[in-house]
Order: sequence, then structure tokens, then C-alpha cells
Amino acid sequence: MIALLHRRARRWALNGAAAVGLGYILLPLVFVTWLAFFHQEIPSFPPEGYSLRWFAAILDQRKFVSGFSVGFQLAALAMVLGLALGVPAALCLARRNFRLRGPLANLLLMPIIVPGVVLGTAMYVFHVEVENGLDMDVIGTFYALVAGHIVIVIPWVVRLVTASLSGVDRATEEAAQNLGANPWITFWRITLPAIRPGIVAGALFAFVTSFGNLEMSLFLVGPGRTTLPIVILQYLEWKIDPTIAAVSVVQIVLIGTAMLITDRYVKLARVV
Amino acid sequence: MADIAIPYSAVAAKRRREGLTAAALVGPATIFVTFCLLAPLVILFRYSLNEFVPTTKVMVEALTPANYIRFFTDPYYTAILATTVRVAVLVTAVCLLLGFPLAYVVARTQSRFKHLLIISIILPLFVGNAVRAAGWMTIFGTKGAVNATLLWLGLIDAPLQIMFTETAVIIGIIAVNLPFMVLTLQSVIEGIDRAVEEAAFSLGAPPGTMFRRVLWPLALPGIVAGTILTFILAMNAYATPFLLGGPRFKMMAPLVYDQFTKQANWPFGGSIAFILMTVTLLLTVAANLLLQRRAAR
Repeated sequence: MIALLHRRARRWALNGAAAVGLGYILLPLVFVTWLAFFHQEIPSFPPEGYSLRWFAAILDQRKFVSGFSVGFQLAALAMVLGLALGVPAALCLARRNFRLRGPLANLLLMPIIVPGVVLGTAMYVFHVEVENGLDMDVIGTFYALVAGHIVIVIPWVVRLVTASLSGVDRATEEAAQNLGANPWITFWRITLPAIRPGIVAGALFAFVTSFGNLEMSLFLVGPGRTTLPIVILQYLEWKIDPTIAAVSVVQIVLIGTAMLITDRYVKLARVV
Repeated sequence: MADIAIPYSAVAAKRRREGLTAAALVGPATIFVTFCLLAPLVILFRYSLNEFVPTTKVMVEALTPANYIRFFTDPYYTAILATTVRVAVLVTAVCLLLGFPLAYVVARTQSRFKHLLIISIILPLFVGNAVRAAGWMTIFGTKGAVNATLLWLGLIDAPLQIMFTETAVIIGIIAVNLPFMVLTLQSVIEGIDRAVEEAAFSLGAPPGTMFRRVLWPLALPGIVAGTILTFILAMNAYATPFLLGGPRFKMMAPLVYDQFTKQANWPFGGSIAFILMTVTLLLTVAANLLLQRRAAR
């Protein structure tokens, strides 16, 4: 009996500790959501009342709308091109054995390890050099920004696709080839369906990584082409109010929905 | 074995063909990353050896370690480096402490809602640091949740200054990095067979001993990976110290940004960027060696 109570108590202590951790992670999101519904403009507690007017106020500020649309186009482009470059690379790294495999894998995963500010500064000076060398507009252009974002999404695509390839038994591919399928048919009929979850997850991670990137983008955006996280950062530097909280809530809801949808196709628990 | 029967030239041709497909597959990504990442890093390093004339704000081509020497001889900058390392170490320790129980529960739960649990851990990651900083600003402000609660309880007479302190920054970065720690630990704990834990229990080990002798050693690769990831992220934090630390509290990443954009001092900004990267790498390698040696014993 006492032993049972002991075990119960331990169970509760463990769950309690876990709840503290989870609560900590979610706390800032809870409060920013709460603030978005405040009636008064000053973030003082307790709120004087509740209102939905701040959500309408978002649309009055052009910078939020434009930041969102620039970020969306950017993330979509970076995702597509990142997949085009990353999926074949992952196939090669997971399936072939060659001398340069290790260094190449490290090179492609490197953008995750290099800090955002270092990436940003390095790309900025690179753009300066290219602009001077080729005598064309590079600094602050949309395409320079896209190129930077492709670099940071490639590691996620390579990582997730490689991970899902390691779960595919090579024997099935070899069986297909023994039965007379050429490499292309083998890929199309056997490998691709097997790694589809990895590709979907890679695409999702690529999109959100690009959409949410702040540090690197700070150095690369040009006037009138700012992304949403930068708009939010620059707004928060001056003040915190329910309008910016409402913008945050919109972002939380959109990303949350995207993740719930993705979770139906791939179990996020397995790919992260 | 089969290779022996095939004439040499056929083998060579097959090898060459495979080599070509491999190159076609991995080549484009490699070229792209080399061109858009390695080349920029090389140029930045080259810039960091240039000279900067403060009066005219012009960069002069040179080959001098002056920028690096300036950083390490000026107490203002070394203090910023020390603050950054101190914050990162503290954040990493707390993340490990807070993250382990959560990771364990997530890894072992049989609940139908496990995927929702995982999503609620990943979601804040993707929502972005600025949005989470906004949440902390709501909590920490002069009229924020913490001060309002403490005033209402009568514990304080005047609001506390929480915003723009090191404490606020540390609390903020912990929340940013905790999901990374939890996800890394969780994937490793999931790979540990539950039966191993039960074997320890049925042999009479109390939970503390089981944790120390079984779970911890088996989870060590995950602990090392999670700790390294958290440490690197904390060293390079930008948005959280910028927003919660305010203009006075400085860490390395905001310093790089300031030097680069506000002072337009590219050589010095570049050298600070390389110092940040090198120090992070050295500390990571040192910690890794230390942990592995302890694990080997």
C-alpha cells in the first residue's frame, strides 16, 4: 500500500516537473494572446475589458500586410528551390558511398551551425563584392534574399530526407532493379513513395525556417522589402501594444494550423 | 565477388557512370552552398583583417590583426564576451534541468494526445523569437503581469524593474532554447528500451539509482547533443537580448549587428563575428571532450 502511494507520488512529481517545463515554453505565447484581446492600448494588468478591434487595426498598417506577403513569397520560393537542390543531394548522401561523402554532408548541414548574424554579415559583404565585381544590383534585392534563404533551408531538407531514407530497406530497391526496373523507375515507384513523409516534413521545415528567419534577413532586406519577423522586431523596439500582439496571434494561428495539417501526413514526433 | 567475373573495363565504366550520377545529384547543392556560404565566409574573414578609418568611416585594404587585438585588449568588449558566455552556460544548465522531465514524459507517454504535446513544444519554435519576446514584455513590464500581481498581493510597494535586466534576458532565452533541448532528449530517450528501466527496478534499484546508473548513461549522447545545441543557440541569441535586454545590456550577436550597421565598421564587425564563432566552437569542443572522457570512465 505504502509502496503504491510512493509510486503515485513519484509519478505526480515527474508529471508536475514536465508540466512546469511545458508551461514555461508556452507562457509567452499565452500572454501575448491574452494581450491581443485587451480593450485598452496600454499593456497593464488586469485588463479593463476585452475587444477585438486590434485585429482590424492590423490591416490599417501597411507594413504588417506587406511584411507578411514578402515573407510568404520568399518562403515559398526558398522552399521549392531548397527541395530541388536538397532532395537529390540527400538521395546521393544516403545511398552512395564515396570518399567525399562525410565532408559534403558536413558542408550541406553547416548553415544550421553558423550563427545567423555571421551568415547575415558574411552574405552582406559577399553581395557588396559581387555588386562591385559584376556591376549589377545585388544588395537588398529580393533574389539575393532568396539565395540566402535557400542556404538556410537546404540543411533541413537534407536532414529530414536522409533520416527518412535510412528507414527504407535497400533490399526493396534492389529487388525492383533485379526485376528489370531502371534506376529512374525504381526511384519513382519505390523510393519516392517511401520517403514522401520526409519530403513533406522537409518542405514544412524549410517554409517555416525561412518565414521565421530574423537574424540573417536583417542584413539582407532592402527598403520596402522587409519580412514579418523584422517588422515585428522593429515595432517591439519602440513599444508593446495589443496591435502587435494581434499580429503575433495571427502568426501563431497560421503556423499552428500548418503544423496540424502536416501532422496528418507525417507524425511530427518521428521526424523532429 | 561478382566483380571478379566482370572484365575490368566494364567495372571501371560502371564506376564512372555511378560517379557521374552521384555528382549530378549532390553537385548542384554543393556548388550552391559553396558559392553562397563558404565564399561569403572567406570574404568576411578577409574583411576582418582590413583597416577602418573611424573619421571617414572608410575601409582600407590591409593585412592586420588589429581588429582582433582591439577586441581582446578593450575591457568593454571582453566584458560583453564574458556576459555572453555566462548567460549561455546558465541557460544551458537550466534547460537541461527543466527539459529532462518533460522529454522523459513525452517519450514515455502512451497518450492519444502525444502528437498534440509535441506540436505544443514545436509551435513556439516556429512562431519566432520576436513574438515570444513580446509575450515576456507583457509579463515583465512596469504594469505587466508580474508587477501587477506582486502589487496586488502587497508584496512590493513600487513596481520592480524586470525589463532590460540580465534576468529578463536569461528567462527569455531559456524559453527559446528549451524546445530544442526537449526534442533532442526525447528522441534519444524514445530509443532506450523501457525494459532496461524495468530490469533495474525489478533488481531493486531505487529511482535515483536507476536514473544515475541506467537512464543517464544511455541518454548521454542525447544530453551531449542537446547541451551543445542549446549552448550554441544561447551564445548567438539576437532578438531576445535585443528586446528584453534593451539598449544597455549587450551580448555578442547584437554587438556584431551594431558594429556592422550602425557604425558601418565592417572589419571590426567581421572580426567580432569570427571571435563569436571561434569561442563557441572551442567551448563546445572542450565540453564535448570533457563529457566523453567522463563517460568513458
